[in-house]
Amino acid sequence: MNDKYAPHIEELSKALEGVGYTDIQTELDNLLRFRVPLEEAKRTILNKFRPKEACEIKIKDILKSPKSFALKGRIISVEKKKIVLKGETAYLYSGKLLDETGVCLFTAWDDFCLNEGDIIKIYNVHMKLWNNRPEINFGQRSIVEKLPEDPSLPKDEKIFTQTKKIIEINPSDLLVSSQGVVTEIYHRDIIVKGKDTIIIEGVIADDTGKLPFSSWVPMEGVDIGNAINFRDAHVRLFRGIPSLNFTHMTSWELLPDNKCPFSKNKIMTDEPSYISIGSVLEKDGLFDVVVTGNIISVRPGSGLIERCPVCNRVIQNNVCRAHGTVEGIRDMRVKAILDDGTGAVYIMLNRELSEVIYGRSMEEAENIAKLSMSKDAVYESMKRSLIGTYLAVRGNSSKSEFGTTIVARYAWVPEDDLLSRLDDLLLKLPEDI
Amino acid sequence: MAEREIAQRLFAKEFNASTLSLTNTFSGDVPDMNPPNLLISPTGVRINRVFVVGVITEVEKLGSEAGNECDLWKARISDPTGVFIVYAGQYQPEAAIFLSTVSVPSYVAVVGKARAYEPEKDSVFISIRPEEINSVEGTIRDRWVLDTAELTLKRLDLLSEILSDQAHGGELSEHMRSNGPDTGSSEAVLNAVAFYGTDQNYISKFRQSVRKALLFIKENAGLEIQQKGDAENLIVKLLKELNNGKGVQYSCLLKEVGSQRVPEEVADAAVRSLLAKGECYEPKHGVIKLV
Repeated sequence: MNDKYAPHIEELSKALEGVGYTDIQTELDNLLRFRVPLEEAKRTILNKFRPKEACEIKIKDILKSPKSFALKGRIISVEKKKIVLKGETAYLYSGKLLDETGVCLFTAWDDFCLNEGDIIKIYNVHMKLWNNRPEINFGQRSIVEKLPEDPSLPKDEKIFTQTKKIIEINPSDLLVSSQGVVTEIYHRDIIVKGKDTIIIEGVIADDTGKLPFSSWVPMEGVDIGNAINFRDAHVRLFRGIPSLNFTHMTSWELLPDNKCPFSKNKIMTDEPSYISIGSVLEKDGLFDVVVTGNIISVRPGSGLIERCPVCNRVIQNNVCRAHGTVEGIRDMRVKAILDDGTGAVYIMLNRELSEVIYGRSMEEAENIAKLSMSKDAVYESMKRSLIGTYLAVRGNSSKSEFGTTIVARYAWVPEDDLLSRLDDLLLKLPEDI
Repeated sequence: MAEREIAQRLFAKEFNASTLSLTNTFSGDVPDMNPPNLLISPTGVRINRVFVVGVITEVEKLGSEAGNECDLWKARISDPTGVFIVYAGQYQPEAAIFLSTVSVPSYVAVVGKARAYEPEKDSVFISIRPEEINSVEGTIRDRWVLDTAELTLKRLDLLSEILSDQAHGGELSEHMRSNGPDTGSSEAVLNAVAFYGTDQNYISKFRQSVRKALLFIKENAGLEIQQKGDAENLIVKLLKELNNGKGVQYSCLLKEVGSQRVPEEVADAAVRSLLAKGECYEPKHGVIKLV
């Protein structure tokens, strides 16, 4: 064999510790005799001799995991779910897995006979982000090995619960502890598996932010204006916004006023804070924000529309994508882009808000359409009255492949004290002498 | 997903001086997307889309191109520091129609893409290709000037800080890395400083033109607010006088106000403001009554 390959063999044997120099030499020799290009030959050898066992990682490193990895842990919950895939019914198993370093969700696309409490070692699994949350996926090539009980693995995920301020709670948290004031609370009757159930929904806020919460367990003695301290609430995601879920695992107690780390009155009366659109874009989803900007575009789909009476989808020519020919329900909306110089978001206004902002009722808009014999006339007229104007909207933001959208709960033309802003700026600008 | 380009706010003076164009130097962008065409302004704004509000002072039909039915329109939109040039041709039919009918002078808002045209070396013309164009009220112009002044001053402050650091031997790019808002824009600032030679002298001169722009608006806004306040007082007075128990017909009210030489749009704005404040209401469509 030619000496000029020696450095390559050297390099390979360095990369493949424990593999004999001569083995590599023979292999390379063989490949080169078949006129395989050198780079391809090296790759082939690396692949052939590299240990088959994928590297093992810990849950805390899950976000920087390699494509395929192995992991040892305890299953703390598992649930069988029925799904319909391409017309065929299939089952998948999802739950939570923990090791000494953290907790993670998993989904198994095959039956691996997983049970709660099992200690397992899994090979050839991969990580996927689902709703911005890392999730371990067991696929067809995955192997599950059951291990005997290991006391070094914790039994309870609660030891990983973090205590956070409300604003810090994000989708990657599974369980969280915090404190806050209940600013809204409702009781809702729903039917779960044929049984009447009352769930509690509301909003909880501290001096940093606020989040929606829901509880499946009764919360006696908690009312609007109470401060509570809670431990081990589940973090769920709804339209990109984290929400707190109180279950039987969650414990909470009322917080006396003198132990509140924040001013209760201030939170209860706090006006929503205006934030820049740029900072809305940084987050995946925000609950109850207010932004102001200029309407720089009114998007097609604004104006008079018709909706399917069954599913509320927007329909064209009385044909619904899901329900065929239907009698449409008339509606009006504005879809626009709001830009404040730091960023741009889509905003959606429902009929009531559209009527106020556009300055015409739906009936008036229908008259415009009738007179000009065109539905586009309303869209054109909206553009004329809206583009360039200032608007403030309040609502939840969420990020999707179409961009960040705020569905408005309130919308208004922001008042502005031009003169005092002017004077503030002029103070900072002394005249040149 | 690529984020939508921000509609930048900048004064005509800065916009028209933005002759540095960048097409593709920002690494790390989504590779399979067409990179946006960017101009870099003297203070380091990455300009793709802009939002301007000003007074349209001139509309000119540049005639049809040979063998082409469509017209090319050119408009001048003035802000307190200079003039934006807007071109609308066959691919901006809505804007072209707007320009052919707009009354001059009037307040307009434009959203559009920045274009650089370089007919020969060392002469670059910067213009706006409109995406949206619309007539707006004067208060929106005043607010735009304020917003733009705020954003411009913020940029000038950052720039001045960077330059003085650099003068004291600090590493320019080092500073940007620790303080810059994001890598794309810090790169733009570095490019701007290198290309335009932006210095403290430029910054203080620019601050003075921002000051002038603000004073100009102050005069204007003060006058408008005064006018509006006067009109509101007059309307309240008239509503009291003309009230027959059922309120006052809007058309009748406007006529009375008009006889006192208050322009109709001022009166209209004053009535709307009174309605919004809850000082009067509309018991019936077209009838105004004091609370």
